[in-house]
Amino acid sequence: MTPLTPPPIDYAAVAPLLIVLGAACVSVLVEAFLPRHQRWPAQVALSVVAIVVAGVTLGVYAGDAPAQGVITLGSTMAVDMPTLFLWGTLLVLGFGSLLLIADRSVEPGGAFVASALERASAGAAPGSTTGPSGVDPEHVDRSYGAPGDAPTMQTEVFPFTLFALGGMMAFVAANDLLTMFVALEVLSLPLYLMCGLARRRRLLSQEAAVKYFLLGAFASAFFLYGVALLYGYAGSVRLSAIAEAAVGTDRSDALLFGGLALLIVGLLFKGSVGPFHTWTPDVYQGAPTPATAFMAACTKVAAFGAIARVLYVAFGSTRWEWRGVLWAVAIASMVIGAVLGLTQTDLKRMIAYSSIAHAGFLLLGTMAITQAGTSGTLFYLLAYGFTTIAVFGIISLVRTADGEATHLSQWAGLAKRSPLLAGVMTFLLLALAGIPLTSGFTAKFAVFSAALSDGMAPLVVVALVASAIAAFFYLRVVVLMYFSETPADGPTVSVPGAFTTVAITLGVVVTLLLGVAPTLVLDWAGAGGFTG
Amino acid sequence: MLALVVAHLVVAALLPLVSRRSRRAAFGVAAVLPAATLVWGLANLPAVLGPGPAPSETHVWASALHLEFGFRLDALGVVMIVLVGGLGALILAYSAWYFGKDSRDAPRNSALLLAFAGAMLGLVLADDLLTLYLFWELTSIASFLLVGQGGLHRANRRAAVQALLVTVMGGLAMLLGIVIVGESAGTYRISEIVAAAQQGAGPAGGLAATGIVLILIGALTKSAQFPFHPWLPGAMAAPTPVSAYLHAASMVKAGVVLVGRLSPAFADRSYWWVPIAVLGLVTMLVGGWRALHETDLKRLLAFGTVSQLGFLMVLFGSGDRIGEIAALTMLLAHGLFKAPLFMVVGIVDKVTGTREVGALSGLGRRLPGLAAAATLAAASMAGIPFLLGFLGKEAAFEAFVHDGDWVLALGLLLGSIFTVAYSARFLWGAFATKAGVEATEPRPVVPGLSVPTWIAAFTGLVLGCVPPLTDALARNYAAAYPAEDAVAADYHLALWHGLSLPLLFSAVALIVGATLHLQRARVTGLHTALRHPLSAQRGYEVTVGGIERFAVWVTGRIQAGSLPVYLGVLLLTVLVLPGLALVFGGTLPATVPGYGSLMQLPLGLVIVACAAALTRVRRRFTAVLLVGAIGYAIGGLFVVDGGPDLALAQFLVETLTMVAFVFVLRRLPAHFDAGPRVGRGIQLRKAALATVAGVFVAVAAVVLSGARQEPPAVSGEFVARAPEAGADNVIAAILVDFRALDTVGEITVLLIAAAGTASLVLATRHDKKGKSGRVESGGGTPEHEEEIAG
Repeated sequence: MTPLTPPPIDYAAVAPLLIVLGAACVSVLVEAFLPRHQRWPAQVALSVVAIVVAGVTLGVYAGDAPAQGVITLGSTMAVDMPTLFLWGTLLVLGFGSLLLIADRSVEPGGAFVASALERASAGAAPGSTTGPSGVDPEHVDRSYGAPGDAPTMQTEVFPFTLFALGGMMAFVAANDLLTMFVALEVLSLPLYLMCGLARRRRLLSQEAAVKYFLLGAFASAFFLYGVALLYGYAGSVRLSAIAEAAVGTDRSDALLFGGLALLIVGLLFKGSVGPFHTWTPDVYQGAPTPATAFMAACTKVAAFGAIARVLYVAFGSTRWEWRGVLWAVAIASMVIGAVLGLTQTDLKRMIAYSSIAHAGFLLLGTMAITQAGTSGTLFYLLAYGFTTIAVFGIISLVRTADGEATHLSQWAGLAKRSPLLAGVMTFLLLALAGIPLTSGFTAKFAVFSAALSDGMAPLVVVALVASAIAAFFYLRVVVLMYFSETPADGPTVSVPGAFTTVAITLGVVVTLLLGVAPTLVLDWAGAGGFTG
Repeated sequence: MLALVVAHLVVAALLPLVSRRSRRAAFGVAAVLPAATLVWGLANLPAVLGPGPAPSETHVWASALHLEFGFRLDALGVVMIVLVGGLGALILAYSAWYFGKDSRDAPRNSALLLAFAGAMLGLVLADDLLTLYLFWELTSIASFLLVGQGGLHRANRRAAVQALLVTVMGGLAMLLGIVIVGESAGTYRISEIVAAAQQGAGPAGGLAATGIVLILIGALTKSAQFPFHPWLPGAMAAPTPVSAYLHAASMVKAGVVLVGRLSPAFADRSYWWVPIAVLGLVTMLVGGWRALHETDLKRLLAFGTVSQLGFLMVLFGSGDRIGEIAALTMLLAHGLFKAPLFMVVGIVDKVTGTREVGALSGLGRRLPGLAAAATLAAASMAGIPFLLGFLGKEAAFEAFVHDGDWVLALGLLLGSIFTVAYSARFLWGAFATKAGVEATEPRPVVPGLSVPTWIAAFTGLVLGCVPPLTDALARNYAAAYPAEDAVAADYHLALWHGLSLPLLFSAVALIVGATLHLQRARVTGLHTALRHPLSAQRGYEVTVGGIERFAVWVTGRIQAGSLPVYLGVLLLTVLVLPGLALVFGGTLPATVPGYGSLMQLPLGLVIVACAAALTRVRRRFTAVLLVGAIGYAIGGLFVVDGGPDLALAQFLVETLTMVAFVFVLRRLPAHFDAGPRVGRGIQLRKAALATVAGVFVAVAAVVLSGARQEPPAVSGEFVARAPEAGADNVIAAILVDFRALDTVGEITVLLIAAAGTASLVLATRHDKKGKSGRVESGGGTPEHEEEIAG
């Protein structure tokens, strides 16, 4: 019998992933063993340190990474230039979202629900429906903070975030479909839970979580079904093996395209591409805003990173056969996002539709199986992610006594009350609309010109029309903020704590920088292609 | 040049600091930069007119995307600098007095006007299509903010949004066109595209043609050409200095300038010059006709501007040497007469409190200086000799008469007649003494308002009397176009070309126009008779309203917040996309075995029956049992098909989940929420969709497994290698040897799940012991358990 040789592992290449996942495990232990009042500071410190260390490790490795990338962990992980870029994107966006999640000053105690025990101890806390008060406070393990303060949030959200982030990093680097599926579940399950954890409007939040979970489970099932079919076709789940099998064989294509169709349903669902978008508005609205920011920015990166890799590596050679279907999907997504966004009266839902439209634009970039398409997509993801995080950060600041004021009418005349906030929001909305000198324009330009040079002119036309329609609803918010009378019982603008301030500032600065001087980042995004 | 543009924007950003001290000083500071721009432009005149290449500069922006800032100063640029810089400085000075010392609007307007001047400067100097697009959109945004003002009035808001929508939509169409043209020409440099096209190497083919037409759409929307023109009269809701600057002198010229820049390359293509000539002429006539009936002096001028823009469009699109000379002259002339006319309206409005034709009377006698300035400007507009407008109009008639282009020549003649008529109407409306109207008592006019007006109007006279100044610029610009004969090559602007047809045209225009004005009662009657419900404004409203209604309808349909609907959309998409492919592309395998062994039949039936029953169940506990039954039956199928290892795992997982479920159910109500009653039709639809989806999955499994051509290689290998592992039984070999690690993993997962279940058991006990009221939802009480267990 020949001895088994374990596959070689390039630890330097996968170190960032290992650090994040390791920190997630440690985070679970912290949750289990630390007394309650120490958890919040410990979890925040751990998560921040983990992400920063992972980022530094990534930076050090990327400094002299091989241009062709490496395939490691027994060919399950491809750490190539796009992977490195996406990892970097995920880490910085994750960092920004983490700051929003950790904030406890905007919403006293944090945006996430406190445990039932603590809510009871703090008396009739907001949001708890029938929590009986009068429990003897001496028997309750009082959380961090002075008595009388709102109870602090459940700190489980930090391990959730880290696991989801680790899952996303594995998702974009997965070199075979099974790894991709495992990563998909690792990233999805924490997200389902995070959706249901809002401190306010509990029912809306829980409903969102259930919807997301059920539809997500369906999408995962489709994905798995697709994997099975593709395995039947190629005899392997490795992406490059599927590509090899598709070239120069007389095998029936039914398995290949049936498999692709089902596989892509699962992926498009995660990227909230229409018509698989139905969960997006409800979930964006119901989830706690920091979690929405995390989902909107990072899930999008992960999903489109994976879509780009699958289409590029496994299905690049057969693109003429499947492109027609994806054209239809992209058009549907852009039109749905732009047209339905027009009618929204809730800001978070509006941003959800905007994300659906943006998903359509992104699909243009991923469909262009060229170097320009890949780098355009990567750049777009980074730009969009930062803008979105900042937008949600701003949304979390405008509040009434009942929590966030997300109804559009409540934003009327906000510029008179808080010119700075209105100015920043205007800038971000212009970026989402793709006005020049913001990252939105550069990103759209990169993706559209890549799509155009790969023969997708009609799609680009639709994309521009959709952008124009979408610009209308962004501008409506601007008009409302500047040109309307303030309602008498309008919301107040909270002064953000350090965490939220940093997250918003980061988003705004990057949005501006990528609009004015995008060269450096574009060069990174275009440093190399996918390796199979 | 970039430095100059950036300086505008930076100073504009800092201007609020100045206006905090003095609002008037803010306008003064703002006026310095445009004035400096004018000086800079005129200082570069020798370089522009000289034989060498035009001054230009390039700054890299994003090399990876081939984005760069490219600027170039040519004759067209100099003329536009006179309008943007020269008139800009005058209008800013005028604004200082227009807005008053304590106006709350002054700080915003001073900063925005200067920022706009910077963007506009960038636009007219841009030699790179993408640079041009960037500044194009910036001017749209500045215009939006300037028209919207404080947003206090509904008219302002609506006009601002309409102006923005129309120009930004046009801008986006243009962006697409720019990218197409840029990609097919291989460069975004306007000068390079023009040079290549003139050597016959311009962008060609259907795609490039589409791109060129898209660029043209952008130009037409920005310059308020028919049928996009209604936004311009609407934008008159802005303060008068803003209208004078943006909507007369500079911004609306952007489209014309773009056509002027690209015409040397595309003027010989029919899809370029035909739309320009037709729409330009229609715009000129529609605008002129509407101007004849407006009673608001400002709207009268606005329609006049629409008309003149149409005229300019026709001239710039002509691609003819003389026509282009006329174009550049008219461009300059229009800025120099329209801006003072607007300023006059502003003054009239200021000193009398109205700008309605019917309410003003005898103002000419009270304010003779102002009336003289207005007459000078209006005369230039009407094309009276010794004024710049006359030079331009003569050249325009000459261009089309010389070519024998009678349709256009007569069309322009008709347009000019209208122009004369509404020029007269303007003067009459503002200054004449009208019978039956009480004489208006104006307040005195401050010099701060009248001096800039005079300067602008007087410049038109000077340039009109000294043609060579303008002639040099115009000929320089027109040199880019081929001259078809010696007459065209030698054409110069002059006050006297001898007795010729164009002179006759001018005379006819003046006489008929004056007659038209004298017969204004009849003309108005005709206008009323011709009134019709179709208008471009109505078209805009219907479009915008229609999109809103459509969006509401679609949202109500598919985003109802209902999970079944969402799932339905998901399933439907899967059915439509791969489903159709399966129906059309898939082939059933030649032999489909009915069943492998008899045992499969009852198991299959159990699964189907349980699944069907699940949809009708009301009790949670029953539902869990049925789900469990399906799981066990599938496990049974694994056994029958020879996969006892899989079956084992399946049974274990099913058992564990059932146990976990039961513990969870203790805390939930016994029955499912009944929810609102749904109609029979909806139920049937759901059932049909579910059935079709199920059938699709089943058929797909059969068809796709039939598509497999090679037998699974791994199974044979397992059997062959089993003895090697020292096992008689293949299954045992697989479980403990080939896939030993998997087995360990499975066992671990099972253990963890079992531990979780056990902890649930313990937790429930704890609840019972503790105070019963602590658990919020559901029971945990004995009665509750009884209810669950039935």
